[in-house]
Amino acid sequence: MFILSFLTRGETWGVVWDFTAENYANIFEPVYLETFWESLKLAFISTGFVILLGYPFGYFMAKLTRKWKSRMMMFLMIPFWTSSLIRLYGWIVIFRANGTLDSFLMGTGLTSEPLKLLYTYPAVVVGMIYALLPFMIFAVYSSAEKLDMSLVEAARDLGASRWRAFLTVSLKLTLPGLLSGVILTFVPSMGLFFIADILGGSKVVLIGNVIQDQLMKTHNWPFAAALAVALMLITTLFMVLYRKITKVKDLEGIV
Amino acid sequence: MRGTAIKNRTKLPNIFLGLIMLFMYVPIVIVIIYSFNESKLSSVWEGFSWRWYQELFEDEAMFEALRNSLVLALSSSTAAALIGTLGAFGMTRAKLKANTSVEYVSTLPIMIPEIILGMVFMVFFSLIGMPYGMTTLIIAHTAFCIPYVFMLVKARLVGMDKSLGEAAADLGAGPARVFRDITLPLIAPAILSGMMLSFAMSFDDVIISIFVTGANTNTLPIKVYTQLKTGVSPKINALCALIFAATVIICIISAVVNRMRRPENREDSVTEY
Amino acid sequence: MKKILAIIMAVVLCMTIAGCSAPTENAADTNEYDVGGTLNLYTWEGMFPQEILDGFAEETGIDIIYNNFDFDETMLAKLQAAGGGDYDLVIADDYIIEMAIAEGLVQKLDKSKIPSLGNVNPVYTKQFFDPTDEYTVPYGAGVQTIIYDPALFDVEIKGYADLWNAAFEDNVGLIGNYRVIDGMALKVMGESYNTEDTAVIEAAGQKLLELAPNIRLIKDEGLQEDLISGEVGAGVVYTSQVTMAKMAKPELEIVYPEEGLGFGIMSGFIPSQAPNPNAAHAFLEYILDPERAAACFEFLGYYCTTLPAEEFIAEDMKEFLTIPSDFDTSKMEMIENVSAETLELHEQIWTAFKAECE
Repeated sequence: MFILSFLTRGETWGVVWDFTAENYANIFEPVYLETFWESLKLAFISTGFVILLGYPFGYFMAKLTRKWKSRMMMFLMIPFWTSSLIRLYGWIVIFRANGTLDSFLMGTGLTSEPLKLLYTYPAVVVGMIYALLPFMIFAVYSSAEKLDMSLVEAARDLGASRWRAFLTVSLKLTLPGLLSGVILTFVPSMGLFFIADILGGSKVVLIGNVIQDQLMKTHNWPFAAALAVALMLITTLFMVLYRKITKVKDLEGIV
Repeated sequence: MRGTAIKNRTKLPNIFLGLIMLFMYVPIVIVIIYSFNESKLSSVWEGFSWRWYQELFEDEAMFEALRNSLVLALSSSTAAALIGTLGAFGMTRAKLKANTSVEYVSTLPIMIPEIILGMVFMVFFSLIGMPYGMTTLIIAHTAFCIPYVFMLVKARLVGMDKSLGEAAADLGAGPARVFRDITLPLIAPAILSGMMLSFAMSFDDVIISIFVTGANTNTLPIKVYTQLKTGVSPKINALCALIFAATVIICIISAVVNRMRRPENREDSVTEY
Repeated sequence: MKKILAIIMAVVLCMTIAGCSAPTENAADTNEYDVGGTLNLYTWEGMFPQEILDGFAEETGIDIIYNNFDFDETMLAKLQAAGGGDYDLVIADDYIIEMAIAEGLVQKLDKSKIPSLGNVNPVYTKQFFDPTDEYTVPYGAGVQTIIYDPALFDVEIKGYADLWNAAFEDNVGLIGNYRVIDGMALKVMGESYNTEDTAVIEAAGQKLLELAPNIRLIKDEGLQEDLISGEVGAGVVYTSQVTMAKMAKPELEIVYPEEGLGFGIMSGFIPSQAPNPNAAHAFLEYILDPERAAACFEFLGYYCTTLPAEEFIAEDMKEFLTIPSDFDTSKMEMIENVSAETLELHEQIWTAFKAECE
């Protein structure tokens, strides 16, 4: 792929063996820079929400009885064994004007007219959270599950408040899970674009769309490869930064 | 641990768990309801009907695709669980300087856009002269599932109490025995969640599959996503509802079987704290 | 020893991930390439009614293996990787067939094996992708039309230009075909879909940006649902979507844009190394039968390309599946392949347009 990104496209189809850096120069067209920015924005927003919802879920789940743990795990996974496209269509029915959500809200008197939620940014974010949440939950769960609760109790016995015990003991010990979870959500969210297409009406243009279009519409494979390399570089950069930040905290101890 | 669950003075966590579950199930419920819609369109409700279930059962190709998808998802999630676990285990053991870079490489497949990964696989298999078919599908799917298992197992292995393994070794257990009796039970939940995720990913993947599939190995997602010209048929809703029902039934059965075996299981569960 | 083993494990992991592992594991059933009595059909899902597919197997004893692709480009890439083999019959869009022929991946039809070839409506023959009709048999055509709910607006739509009217704010749905939508702006400017003049295309891009406030959504699949549910009041849609929308909501009005009509043809062709070309010819002949073709097009919702089939089409569907008799065919223009630079410019203004819509 890396090599491909330096080649020249064929006139209508395929690739010519001519080395060039032009593909990388093309990335700096404002149109394409904007899509990088959009992708990052969406990835950050979705990862943020996924942490907010997924971390407590995984944590609470680990505290359940053994029977309920395995049940929860199954409950979580079952929806994901049906086609994601079909589930997205379910969301369309929910968000649609005068659809399920509108009927519910208007029926209970919370709103008086259709919200027109479908094909908006919030709809896209909900779709992203929906798709990525299990990754975070599983990652947090598998590291919280081995957490020795006696440590937390010890901290409590020594006079730490609930929150303090959580921050100093639980959070620190489940950090590897959270880290894996963030990687498992942030990285794919940079590339997920069909959710934005289906729930956002293609109006949120992400870098994945451009790559897809370059491959499938203009047949410019080298440029697509260059975009993919750039995408990987950006993702890597943020992963490194993220790791640096969490490492520093590790050393200081979160107080 | 059961003690802490009881100690939980507040019901809040349970309510939270319930709400998220609701969030996860709402779209599925909608899909099931609409699988009984007489109309081909989801925007019109024309009344209750079994029409799509009937049409579904006439479509042999659909069940062939379902079979292919199941075989593919089962084999690749198993293979990924195996390789991913061994990789994560090997990595934490080796304490290599290159650990971070190995980890980085292992997350690469998630970073590369699927469509490019698919094309790379396609070109790769054609270069080594491998005919497209189930084998190429399984290899490609295994490769993209490994990172998920790897990351989950690693998260659990990191900071795991090494003394247990060392104690067992001191008592004369060989490395294989330590792995089987101590490490494996400890990381089993992570492997299981990794496998379940892999299964779901593989069972739902279309982009990579479409590039490496052979001339008679259509998978279910390929059939779903390639209805661009004519619109997605509600047959698929019906199929999803059936798959959902089947998984729920399997879960219930396994829960019942588990309950019957409970008394013996108690002793095994000592490994857990 | 343990360390070495661990290192080996880690290395194996990396290799598998990089995709360079030796393909040793996972030997599954590899009984492919058994082409005795089978037809490997390669097209989108849902192109034929089940009865037609089953009927072919009954009549000829040839089993159909129905394989699917999502985009035309996927098909071409796959066909190329398979060296023009693996598949016996491909049905795809016009422009990609031109490329496939240029790449040498298509074999000439043996017309003696398709006696019913004359059934093809001459309107759809001798087109740019196969000027001499040596390689392809058309199977369905579509025009892009405007469809809207006149009750919602004070303005009457006559052509594409009316969509720019502020009355349609946040109420228009478009199909996601960039050449069609870019072409819409070109048509409003009185230009050809296939112009190579970069200045003109850039001007069309500017023109499109002005349309952005009116756009509620862009998507290829299922646009008819949004028209029916009232999510959008007007849309630029494909023929099959017009058929579905209008049948469910008859008050919708169909407009053939006065600026001109873009149309496309789907055609069947036989790959150069097809394992069983005889089966492919037999199938082409089979679906050219007027009655069967009528059943196919009623199912498919595209314009019928098989002329004698028109009389078998149910009355209530006829208006959707045949070209209107008063239709000015001189206003029709096909979207053809253009140079790489032009294509890229199209893609760029398209991306800018979509981003502007948010």
